[in-house]
Amino acid sequence: MDSKSKSHETAINISETESNKGKSTAAATIVATTKAIPHNQKGGWRRGVAIFDFILRLCGLVAALAAATTMGTTDETLPLFTQFFQFEASYDDLPAFSYFVVANAIASGYLVLSLPFSIVCIVRPHLVGARLVLLILDTVMVAFTTAGAAAAAAIVYLAHNGNSTTQWQAICQQFGDFCQQVSGAVVASFIAAVIFIFLVIFSALSLRRH
Amino acid sequence: MKAGALELGHASKVTATVPQKGVNRGMSILDLFLRIIVIIATLGSAIAMGTTNETLPFFTQFIRFRAKYSDLPTFTFFVVANAIVSAYLVLSLGMSIFHIMRSRAQASRIALIFFDAAMMALLTAGASASAAIVYLAHKGNTKANWFPICQQYDSFCHRTSGSLVGSFIGIIIFILLVLFSAVALSRR
Repeated sequence: MDSKSKSHETAINISETESNKGKSTAAATIVATTKAIPHNQKGGWRRGVAIFDFILRLCGLVAALAAATTMGTTDETLPLFTQFFQFEASYDDLPAFSYFVVANAIASGYLVLSLPFSIVCIVRPHLVGARLVLLILDTVMVAFTTAGAAAAAAIVYLAHNGNSTTQWQAICQQFGDFCQQVSGAVVASFIAAVIFIFLVIFSALSLRRH
Repeated sequence: MKAGALELGHASKVTATVPQKGVNRGMSILDLFLRIIVIIATLGSAIAMGTTNETLPFFTQFIRFRAKYSDLPTFTFFVVANAIVSAYLVLSLGMSIFHIMRSRAQASRIALIFFDAAMMALLTAGASASAAIVYLAHKGNTKANWFPICQQYDSFCHRTSGSLVGSFIGIIIFILLVLFSAVALSRR
């Protein structure tokens, strides 16, 4: 395949020097060499990176979906009640948890929609526009997911430890199952955020031009 | 026919490389400018949160009515995260200036994108965790029996809420920085 490309190169060079006398031949040869390199020789590592990107997207989808569903299905009712207090805890009692569920649901939806784009990037490794769009949206999703995960983590830390200055009680001592489920969901969301950062790096790596 | 097509291709390449380099350089200068803005924003947030100290004018034998940022671990994390991001941005100013001079640098741009994304994640984590706590301080929560402390600690609440703004502006500008680096990377 190398000799084939080389013969391609020389053929183009000769026709260039014959027809264009006023233009510089150095630029012409540069144009000729970039046009002569066959695509699948340069696209090898790019395709590998694109395949790994696709696999990572599937993992991120699993993580974000798990986080959203784990948080969304929290509902613990303690077996005691008084006239004034209802000892029931679910995710929509705290707005930070509601935002968490929404953010992770949006992240999972985005990952599902970006799977076809990723497949297109595997099939055609030299597309720049699609990769740029994926990189920007991945960066926005990093911010989104990290925001949801961190807000929920702050509330979970407060629920575990309480705070003496503000006189906020640690509710995990009462709602044990609720706390466990919520903590697991926060961990899954942080994993999804880290996967998004890796997706950004892979998209940046495959944007390189040689 | 082949020579004619190559002639057209050659002409478009020659006219395209000169403005592309100019656009790359323009984006690098804008990148540097935005970085300086984010340094000011995150440093302002860290200082605004770090200098909170409100003491209420009454006290009992057991309770001290004083609020500082270090009383809430989330706010401590916020100050630390903003400080780390400011320090990183000061160090990356040198890299940005290097990109203005050499528009063709690729490996360093990729490293910059990676560190920008990681620092943006850190900043977002600090800012949104503090936002959750500030929301709780303003509104409280009836289910968890958490009292909204803003009714007592008024200036503490104002200061912490205001310091979030700089952080969030920094996050948006970070997304723009990653976008500029990626576009500069994909153009030659």
